[in-house]
Amino acid sequence: MSEKAKEEKAYRVLESHGFLQRVVFRYMLEGHAASEEGKLAWVTSGFPVEIPVAMDVGVSYPEQYGAVIGSEKAGPKLCGYAEELGYSQELCSYARASIGSVKHPEESPLEGLPAPQALLACNNICGTVLRWYDAISQMTGAPVFLVDTPPLEGEQLPHHIAYVRHGLDDLVSFLSEQFGTTLEEDKLREVTDLATETIGVWTQCLEACKNKPSPLNCADRFLAMAPVVAIRGRDYTLEYYQMLLNEVKDRVTNGLGAIRDEKVRLLWDNIPPWFRVFRIMGSLAKRGVVFPADTYTHAWTGSFKDEDRMDSIASMYSNVYLNKGLEAKVDKMCGLIKDYDLDGFVMFSVRSCKRYSLGQLVSKELVSERTGVPGVVIEGDMVDSRLQNDAQIETRLDALLEMLL
Amino acid sequence: MSNAQAIEQSERILKQLVDKGKPILGYVYPHTPLEIIMAHGVMPALLYANPTVMGSYEASLQTFACSFVRNMFSQRVNDQLPYVDGIVFPGNTCDSLQNLADIWHLRFPQDKVFRLTYPAGNQGEAAIQYFAEELRIFSNSLEDAYGFPFSDAAFRQAVILVQRFRNAVQFLYAARLLQPSSVPYRRIAAFVREFHSAPLETVVDELRATVNDVEHSLAKTGRVDSTKALQHALLERRLEDVSILSDLPTPRLAIVGGMTEPQAISELVNAVSKVPSTAVVFDLLSFGFKTIFTPMPAFEGDPFETMARSVLGALLEPTQEGLPKRLDFLKAALTHLAIDGLIVCEQSFCDPDEFESPSLLAVASGVGVRSLRLPVDPEFSDRVRLEGRIQSFLETLPHGGAA
Amino acid sequence: MGIGLDLGSSTTKGVLVDKNGKIIAARLIPTGAIASKAAENVLEELTKLSQLDLGDVSTVSTGYGRTQVEFAHESITEITCHSVGVHSLNPGIKLLIDVGGQDSKVIRIGSKGRPTNFELNDKCSAGTGRFLEVMARVLEVSIDELGPLALKSKFPCLISSTCTVFAESEVIGRIGSGESPANIAAGVHQAMAAKISTLSRRVGVASPTAVTGGVARNPAFCHYLSAALNCDLWIPKEPQLTGALGAAILAIARASDTE
Repeated sequence: MSEKAKEEKAYRVLESHGFLQRVVFRYMLEGHAASEEGKLAWVTSGFPVEIPVAMDVGVSYPEQYGAVIGSEKAGPKLCGYAEELGYSQELCSYARASIGSVKHPEESPLEGLPAPQALLACNNICGTVLRWYDAISQMTGAPVFLVDTPPLEGEQLPHHIAYVRHGLDDLVSFLSEQFGTTLEEDKLREVTDLATETIGVWTQCLEACKNKPSPLNCADRFLAMAPVVAIRGRDYTLEYYQMLLNEVKDRVTNGLGAIRDEKVRLLWDNIPPWFRVFRIMGSLAKRGVVFPADTYTHAWTGSFKDEDRMDSIASMYSNVYLNKGLEAKVDKMCGLIKDYDLDGFVMFSVRSCKRYSLGQLVSKELVSERTGVPGVVIEGDMVDSRLQNDAQIETRLDALLEMLL
Repeated sequence: MSNAQAIEQSERILKQLVDKGKPILGYVYPHTPLEIIMAHGVMPALLYANPTVMGSYEASLQTFACSFVRNMFSQRVNDQLPYVDGIVFPGNTCDSLQNLADIWHLRFPQDKVFRLTYPAGNQGEAAIQYFAEELRIFSNSLEDAYGFPFSDAAFRQAVILVQRFRNAVQFLYAARLLQPSSVPYRRIAAFVREFHSAPLETVVDELRATVNDVEHSLAKTGRVDSTKALQHALLERRLEDVSILSDLPTPRLAIVGGMTEPQAISELVNAVSKVPSTAVVFDLLSFGFKTIFTPMPAFEGDPFETMARSVLGALLEPTQEGLPKRLDFLKAALTHLAIDGLIVCEQSFCDPDEFESPSLLAVASGVGVRSLRLPVDPEFSDRVRLEGRIQSFLETLPHGGAA
Repeated sequence: MGIGLDLGSSTTKGVLVDKNGKIIAARLIPTGAIASKAAENVLEELTKLSQLDLGDVSTVSTGYGRTQVEFAHESITEITCHSVGVHSLNPGIKLLIDVGGQDSKVIRIGSKGRPTNFELNDKCSAGTGRFLEVMARVLEVSIDELGPLALKSKFPCLISSTCTVFAESEVIGRIGSGESPANIAAGVHQAMAAKISTLSRRVGVASPTAVTGGVARNPAFCHYLSAALNCDLWIPKEPQLTGALGAAILAIARASDTE
C-alpha cells in the first residue's frame, strides 16, 4: 500500500482510466457472447480486423491477453503448462502462456480467453504467430486462416499488393463459409471510417507528448493502446479516445506532465515487461525520467484511404512497423527522438520476440550515431519473469541515467 | 567421410571453382532455386553450420537468436566462410533468418546480400504468381551483381542436372527403406551434402555409379521394382499402398527436424556404439528429404513461373503448408514405412522446430512409435549428453536394447 | 556375480551383487578429475570390502564416464541402469526421478523394469544438484544444511528464475532486502521442484514415483517435489547407488546371456 502511495506522488493517474476499464470489460463480455454464439475468432495484433468486424464476427486478442497474464504475474505458471506439453522455454512467451491457458483455463486470469471458432493470423508482426496458432488449433480444433503479408524491403510492389489483396478476398470467403455471414461494402466502409477516425484521435494523443512536460508516460500509453489494437470499428472506442484526448489537452494547457518533475525524456523500444513495467516506470518517474514516445504504441497508426477499401487494407497492414526492415526501424526511432526531443533511449531486448529484438544491438549503434543521444539495451521478457534478471536491468538503466542526469 | 572432412572437401572444391573465375553464391535455405542461380552462370553453394566455429556474434546478435543464425554470423565475423561471393537469405520463413539478412547487410555493407522472399501458408495459385515475380526480381538482381544475364540454355542444363541428382537420390532413399543394407544412410547424406555444396556433373556421375551398385544388390532380392514404386509413392506423398517386408533388420529409426543436417546427425548417431548400421532408415521433414523430393520444373512456359511451381510443390516445409498436412504425412510414414523409433531434433532457438516438435511427438505416440526429443545446436556442444540420450533411447526400444 | 560402476559427474559408485542380485559390497567415492582412475579406485575398494577376487566378474559401467572404463564388459546408460536398479528394489515403481549433480532425469519404467520413455533437463544447470550447490554457497550454508534450513520456513519466498545465474542474483537481491535465509532456501527448493515437475509432466506423472540421486537425500526438495507432483514419493535407503545396482544386475544378465 505504502509503495503505491509513493508511486502516485511521482506519477499522475489518468481520470479517463476508469472509462478505459469499462471499455475493456465490455469488449470482454462481447467476446464471451460471441463465443457462445459460435462466432468468435482469435486474431493476431496486426490482423486486418476490420474485415471480421464488418462481417459481424467477434474477435479476441491472445497477445493482449498475454499482457494481462504478464501483468497478473501468471506468466511463469501458464508458460510452465506449455513446457509440460513439450514446448521449449525458448519459444515466445505469449504463445506459451496462451497454450498454457488453453490447457488450464481454470488457473488463468479471467478464466482464460473465450473459446475460438476460428484462428486468424497475419504474419505482418512475426512469423511465429502462424506456428502458435497451429498449436492452438491442435488443441481446440478451430481452423487457422493466415493472411500472408511477406515482409517488405523498401516500397510495396504491385505484385505484393495483389497477393495480399488476394489473401483478403480469401479471408472473406473463409469467414463467409465458417460463420455464414457476408461482407457488405457499406459496412466495411463504415467500420474502416470509424477505425480511421479512432486511429486519428489516438495519434493526436501520441503527438501531444511532444509537449514539455509530456502529458503521457510509456505505461499510460501501454494501457491506453488496448482498444485501438483490439476494439476497432466500435463507437465506444472512439468515445474513449476523445475522452483521453481531452484529458491530454487539459494537461498540456495547464502545463501538467505525466510525472511531476520531468528531467529526462527517453524513447522506449519494444514490448514492455508486463509484470514489471509499472514498477520500472514508477521508480524512474521518481527520478524525473519520462518516456514521451515508444516504438510499440506508435505501431498502430495510419489511415484507410478512400480508394478501394480492400486495397487500402492490403497496403496498410503490409506496411506496419515490424513488417519492414531494420533500416526502417532505425529511421523511425531517429524520427521519434528528433520529433519528441528525447535525451536518450532504452531498448528492451525481449527474449520471446525475435522479430522485434534481433537487430537491436546494431540499431542501437546506428541510432546513437545519427541522433547523438545515448541508449542502453536491457534484456528480459514480456511475460515470463523467469527469463529476466531485474538486478542486471537496474544496473544498466542506472548507468544510462548517470550519463544524462 | 566425417563432417569435418566434408567441410574441408567442399572448401577445396569451391576454391578450385573460384580460381577458375566462377562466382559462388552461398545459400542457407533448402528451397533455394538452384536452377535460376545456375542460369546466371553462378554456382550456388549451401552454407553449413560449422561445428568448430568460435562464437563471435555477441556484438550484433543476442543469445536468443537461432543457434544456426549465430553460427553463420560467427563464421562471417571470423572470416571463416567458404569462398562465396554473396549470400542469398530467405525472407518470410522464420524471424531469425529474416532479421539476420538485415543485420548482415548493415554490418557488412560490402557483402552482396540477396533476399528471396517466400509466400507462407497454403495460398494456392496466388502464391505461385507472387513467388514467380519474386524470382524474376531475384534473377534481375543476380544479373546486376554478377553481370551475367539469365540464359535459357544454362537454365535448361541446370534443370536436367538437378533432376538427375534428385532422381538418383530419391532412388537411394527408397532403397534404404526397403533394404537398409543396400546403401548406408551416411552415404546418402554425403551425396546430398556434396551436391548442395557444389552442384557439379562429377557428383552426379559418382552418384549414378552408386545407384547402379545398389540396383544390382536390390536385383538379387528382386526389389528393384518395389523400390521404384516406393520412390514414386514418396514423391507423390501417397504411402497407403506401400508395404515393408517384415524380415528387415530392426530397429528402424527415422529422424525429423527442420534445420537438421543429415550428415551431422548421421555422424552423431553412428558414434553411439550400439547403433547398428542399418538403424537409420529415413529422414523426413529435414534437410535431406525435403530437398530431394521436389518436383521437376517444366521446360515450357515462363521459367520463373515453372520454378515457382517446382519450389512450392516441394514436400514439407512448415512455412509452405499447414501443420495438419505435415502431421498426416508423418503419420503415414511412420505407419507404412514400418518405423519403430522416431528421433525429433529441435535446433536450439529455432522457432519452427521447437513449435512443431510436441505435435510430432504426439503423432508418434498416437501410432505407438517410441520417440526421442533431441535438442541440438550446430556445434553439438553437449555431444556426450546427446550420445547418451540416443543410446538410452535405443535401450528403450524392444529390439535395440542392451544385454 | 556382477559389478556395476556408475561414474557420475561428482561421485563414482560401485556395487557388487551375487547371482541373485543381492548386494555384497557397495562404495561411493568422489569422481575427481579422471573418471577412469575413479573406476579403478572404486573397484579396488569393492575388492577390499568383499575380500573376493573380482578379476573375471562381469562388469557394466554407466554414468557420464561410462565409456572411460576400459575393463568394463559393456557400457549402458544411466537411464536403463537406474530403471533396472529401482525396479529390483521396488518392482511397483512406475516413474523414476533421478536428480544428480549435472543432470536430472525422469524415467517411465515399464513392467519388466526397463525404461519406456524418458526426459532429461536441458544443458543448463537449472534443475540439477549444481543449482542447489550454488544457492547454498550464496546463503553461506553447506549443501547438507540447505534442506533442513528450508524446512524451517513457513512462508517460502518466490524465486522465479530457473536459470542458475539469474536465480543467484535473485537470491542475492532477496538477502539484500532482508528476507530470512529459511524462506529463501525454501523458495530455492520450490523453484527447483517446479522445474523437475515440468520435466515429469512431459513424460507423464504416474504413481508410485521414486526419487534417486544425491538430491533425493535432501528432505526439503522431496517435500516440495511431492507437493508439486501431488503424489507421495518413495526414496530408497541408498538413493545414490541405484544406477550402479542396476548396472550390476545387468552385468549378471549379460554374463548369463554370453554363457
